[in-house]
Amino acid sequence: MTITLYDFELSGNCYKLRLLMSILGLPYDIVPVDFFPGREHKADWFLRLNPFGQLPVLKDDDLVLSDSGAILAYLAKKYDASGQWFPDDPAITAEILRWHAVADDITATSSAARLALGYDYDFDIEKSQKGAHRIFRLIDEHLWFGEREGRDWLCAPSHPTTADIACFPYVMLSEEGGISRQDYPALRRWTDRVRRIPGFTVMSGIFPAGPAKVD
Amino acid sequence: MPLSLSDPNWYPIASSEDLPFRHVYQGQLLGRELAVWRADDGNVNVWENRCLHRGVRLSIGINEGQELKCQYHGWRYANRSAGCTYIPAHPADAPARRIENRKYPVREAYGLIWSAANDEKPFAPFPGAEGQSWFALRPMPVNAAPEDVVAGLARLAPDDQPADLLPGLTVRLGEIVYFVQPVDAGRAVIRGLLPETPADALAALRHHNEHLTHLRDRLERAAARKPAPEPLQPIYEKVSADLATMPDIAVPRGNTLNVVVSRKWQSADGVIGFELADRDGKHLPTFQPGAHIDVHLPNGLVRQYSITNGPGDLLSYVIGVKQENASKGGSKVLVETVREGDVLAISEPRNNFPLRRDATRTVLIAGGIGITPLLSMARFLDKSSLPYELHYFTRNGESVAFKSELDALHGAVHVHTGLARDAIRGTIDQVLGPHQFANHVYICGPGAMLEMVQETAARLGWPDEAVHFEYFQNDKTIDASSAFDIELARSAMTLHVPAGKTILEVMREAGLTVPSSCEQGACGTCLTTVMEGEVDHQDVYLNKSEKASNTCMMTCVSRAKSARLVLDI
Ligand SMILES: N[C@@H](CCC(=O)N[C@@H](CS)C(=O)NCC(=O)O)C(=O)O
Ligand code: FES
Repeated sequence: MTITLYDFELSGNCYKLRLLMSILGLPYDIVPVDFFPGREHKADWFLRLNPFGQLPVLKDDDLVLSDSGAILAYLAKKYDASGQWFPDDPAITAEILRWHAVADDITATSSAARLALGYDYDFDIEKSQKGAHRIFRLIDEHLWFGEREGRDWLCAPSHPTTADIACFPYVMLSEEGGISRQDYPALRRWTDRVRRIPGFTVMSGIFPAGPAKVD
Repeated sequence: MPLSLSDPNWYPIASSEDLPFRHVYQGQLLGRELAVWRADDGNVNVWENRCLHRGVRLSIGINEGQELKCQYHGWRYANRSAGCTYIPAHPADAPARRIENRKYPVREAYGLIWSAANDEKPFAPFPGAEGQSWFALRPMPVNAAPEDVVAGLARLAPDDQPADLLPGLTVRLGEIVYFVQPVDAGRAVIRGLLPETPADALAALRHHNEHLTHLRDRLERAAARKPAPEPLQPIYEKVSADLATMPDIAVPRGNTLNVVVSRKWQSADGVIGFELADRDGKHLPTFQPGAHIDVHLPNGLVRQYSITNGPGDLLSYVIGVKQENASKGGSKVLVETVREGDVLAISEPRNNFPLRRDATRTVLIAGGIGITPLLSMARFLDKSSLPYELHYFTRNGESVAFKSELDALHGAVHVHTGLARDAIRGTIDQVLGPHQFANHVYICGPGAMLEMVQETAARLGWPDEAVHFEYFQNDKTIDASSAFDIELARSAMTLHVPAGKTILEVMREAGLTVPSSCEQGACGTCLTTVMEGEVDHQDVYLNKSEKASNTCMMTCVSRAKSARLVLDI
């Protein structure tokens, strides 16, 4: 198998895949795509890979895949021997897909605000920020009650799944879009937990967490 | 009533549960952003959310257990004091730093963390607080003016049982007490307490959460119809340059503080442990690993003892004292006459034995009582999860001091007991190995052992900068052959110091009273500020950068390279 990631270093959606592959210890090659300022994701050669003109794209031998959530599911089902990252259980599969959809909403809001503030994109900043706050409020509540119920992650299993990977990057990068996480303490604690997953890796703007307490 | 930046009231700023170990919580009170973190000893710190270095938010930093590390350039700040304990850009440097971040008062009570904008009011329980085991609801942030939130809460009361408005933005509705945390002019957090844990806690939490969510939505809709209030403009009073910047040179200040001996015990055969605490239970000054204090003994002598504490352990200093049979003066007085409850004067901590925290390999070698500074170093490295090896040589198993403290370490701790000289040499040889990049060794122990390690290290190619040790006694031969003049600026006097006499002696002969103690350049008592001239340092008290600064000297042994010295006396 040869995995190739068509990657933009500063993209949170590409980072999701780097993160899971790092956790799973999967080797892969990178083809850098100049998303900004080059707009290479709209070049003919890239559109042949993904007609939607979006990063990331992942090639596994001859198979070409796009959409970060779909690729997370693929990688987990194919390469995660533990079966933890995308469990087969139908109810859990549904839960995970639910949060993959939330991850897209986070991209549409938090990432849009970041692109508008940092990358000259013509998005409605205030609307994007408000939308992100609305989602963060709901996630914070979900995680706060999760802590009370003994659930540390977005979905029911007692371990992280691709749902956590999918939602993490643009939560962590929200401040680059002018979205403070001060009002979401449970969400902030969850980002510590994600950053402590063995094999965790960073990207620009996302710092590592220190080790947890050992007795 | 508009919010005031100088409001002296205490408000809850977080729930106790918001502060798990090794997390940094981001909070805000009256417009001021806060970094809030619980240390491994349980203590909660509420600090201004800005690193003194470049103003980066400390809430994105790393809670290392007893120190908070800034994410950007790695400045570390100690639990309790907020004193800076390490600056990576100056890894080998340890002037008595006084860099200290701004802290706010803090109390943990009733399941909540409380703070205030200033120290004007002591913490007082809210009316009816005592006698209940309060249970905190899920906090509810609201984008509305705090006074509007109070009014909204009051309106929740049924007609026949009106709300009770308590001082400090507090509303009591039946048995539930709601505190409104004034985050900013247009932002608040509702923090509710039930008087006891409900039978079905989770159901109750969900019920109240739903209730408060509806209130929040109503308040936010109303707030959106009004012009948004101007956010408060906290003036970040600049931390004084003295506290906020790294002094080029920290002239030791010679201040003493009184501490009480809170515990005295036999730590091992031949080693007595002393715990020294502030008399009012306040925290003691920040120290760095390797630091020592001068202890002023009842018989007038001054002796140096290393602090064994780990990072952020500032409620007391623990020192170890050797119980020498033939000891004259120093340790003997401590061991024989000082008792628990006695008061002693000590100096602020000084560090002539700084620990680098950028090494790829750190080897700590202790002989006998020399374990004391190395125990402190090991504890700092341990908390930061940095690799280290501690080798502790003792005569026999009974003389292993601070055993439980050593057992609590996670690193490689090797105790070597009863080895003969040659066996010690062989072990040290093996332990050190050939020098590699960014390896550092720290040694503390009897003179003979110090020399042995230095020799071995040199033979194995370790450069001087990688071999660290500290003197408490000045074993150097003092060269008193120079002759020069001293001008005493404040006393308006010029004196001649001939060869064979010390500055101290000449000043005393001229009738001046100047303090001294060890008179061998080891204790720091005769420290004097130099205004002009070049000093010939011969002491072991000042560290390299202090000596190089040419701004202070020890008059009991050091002399002049120039023909004239101007002293601030
Ligand atoms: N749902 C997609 C969204 C991917 C996405 O928005 N990618 C961005 C880069 S981070 C992009 O290529 N945007 C260009 C566009 O949408 O035209 C995924 O998760 O992969
Ligand atoms: S800003 Fe904190 S260490 Fe530089």
